[in-house]
Amino acid sequence: MLLDTPHTQHRVEPPPPAGLLDNLRGAAYRVGALAKHNTLIRLRDPGQMISYVAMPMVLMLVLKPLYVRAVEGGATQVATGLMVMFSVFAISIAGNAILVERTWRTWDRLRASRAPATELLLGKTIPIFVVMVVQQSILLVYGCLVIGLPIPRAPQYVVFAIAIWAFALLSIGAALATIVRSHGELSVISDVGALTLSSLGGALVPLSIMPEWAQVAAHISPGYWALTMMQAAVRGDAAGTLAPAGVLLAIGLVAGTFAVRRLTRGWGRGHLL
Amino acid sequence: MLEAIDLVKCYGPVRALDEFSLSVAAGEIVGLVGHNGAGKTTFVEIVSYLTRPDGGHVTIDGKPPSAVKGRVGVAPQHIALYPSVSVREHLELFGKLAGLRGQALTTAIDDIVAALRLSDFIDRHAAVLSGGQQRRTQAATALIHRPALLLLDEPTAGADLETRQAMLDVVKQRAGEGAAVVYTTHYLPELTELQATIAVVRDGRVIARGTHEELVDGLPGEVQLTFDNEEEITVSTTHPANTLIDLLSRADRPISTVDVRNPSLDDLYRSLAVSNAP
Ligand SMILES: Nc1ncnc2c1ncn2[C@@H]1O[C@H](COP(=O)(O)OP(=O)(O)OP(=O)(O)O)[C@@H](O)[C@H]1O
Ligand SMILES: [Mg+2]
Repeated sequence: MLLDTPHTQHRVEPPPPAGLLDNLRGAAYRVGALAKHNTLIRLRDPGQMISYVAMPMVLMLVLKPLYVRAVEGGATQVATGLMVMFSVFAISIAGNAILVERTWRTWDRLRASRAPATELLLGKTIPIFVVMVVQQSILLVYGCLVIGLPIPRAPQYVVFAIAIWAFALLSIGAALATIVRSHGELSVISDVGALTLSSLGGALVPLSIMPEWAQVAAHISPGYWALTMMQAAVRGDAAGTLAPAGVLLAIGLVAGTFAVRRLTRGWGRGHLL
Repeated sequence: MLEAIDLVKCYGPVRALDEFSLSVAAGEIVGLVGHNGAGKTTFVEIVSYLTRPDGGHVTIDGKPPSAVKGRVGVAPQHIALYPSVSVREHLELFGKLAGLRGQALTTAIDDIVAALRLSDFIDRHAAVLSGGQQRRTQAATALIHRPALLLLDEPTAGADLETRQAMLDVVKQRAGEGAAVVYTTHYLPELTELQATIAVVRDGRVIARGTHEELVDGLPGEVQLTFDNEEEITVSTTHPANTLIDLLSRADRPISTVDVRNPSLDDLYRSLAVSNAP
């Protein structure tokens, strides 16, 4: 290897990977190292994750009687609605995780390593994806056991719906993190945005009792598509799950592509308050 | 090993690099010195493929920086560590990212911990380390995989004597093993100790390049005599030894102290600053 300094005691840099398989193995090793590293960071600062699980649990319990009296299928509405709403709040977990790499200047440090940007992003996002999936799963299980959400007839639809929604949220969070200039900006956008979009989407007040214009406007909210998808998945309605999943997948891909491009370039020194 | 030709980098109206050219051979340590804002860090960022130049080009071992990314060891000027992650965990991460695994990783960590004396705080989180300890940790993440090109941007800024010495020893050792080193500093005596060749940067270009001796050759030093009655004479001269003999032979009063100062890098730096002033 040309670039290695001669060193007699031990080879410190392995020879360059020969084939495609070796390249993949190398990439998997680096992504694994990054994912482990990012999981450590998440676990050492679990506050946000805990509150986004605990708060909706409390709210579901408190609000359930109201929903049950107000609309048909009130239990389903309160469980899926608050699950969707608080999963939108979890965007800020993704956003913060990426933004801190800018404030700590560590993103450039990683970019200077051998790992290309896609590996850096995978290693960064896999643990957050897991966090989001776990959050939504806990809330749905809690919904079934405590709130009276009907036990899903086809759990695989629910798993699929959760995965799609987590992907869309993660991409939106990553994209946001690349354009904001501070943690303050990020929390304003993600909290106000989450509240607006998820309530517009029918997560707080059932769409059926909202004014007509709001029912139309709801379609611009990813929260609307998530809620429709989750409720269909719980019912075991395949077609009803797939259509909104397509919309969310598209949103996720657009936001994700934007984030990848932005993160690949880096920021240099500017653009942070 | 490293070849940069006519690099240009503009930030709006600022020309951070303005036809910056520099080559560094394997085993050579180049001390990059120059005023604040001269363009040293911008150069390091381009070589480590964090920034693209607007003009000119860089090759590392004949290849563009993108092709050898990660086989270069970079210690940025600003501390870039994860506050809640320990020193050992940092070394593991950057070792693994460089492709080290198993026993090779363990050995590499042990080596760099010993060389930069990190063992006292190896299990502490970066957030609670002192400035000098953070510096050493940051340098360790750049050195762990024994890269063939080292870019150390002010690795001893804010460091105490012990940290400075540990750093200089490792850099000398790595250069001895054949690594090319770009070493940025504002502390010129370090470069003498490293036996580095020197590149003086001003306003985005290298305006002087050579060994210490070549660069200070022809610059005036100083001879100072102090007499018993506390009177002093100071003479600026390009031949301090001859001047001293001359002064001593002509002295008509008892002399208490004699001080001879050969031209230093500081003199060079000052002379260039004056002669190149815009
Ligand atoms: N991302 C950026 N945006 C705007 N200006 C920049 C950017 N990066 C560097 N500059 C400018 O480029 C010039 C060179 O900066 P650089 O950091 O390379 O200097 P330096 O020689 O490392 O200085 P120092 O000794 O202070 O570290 C400076 O005027 C700086 O303000
Ligand atoms: Mg600098």
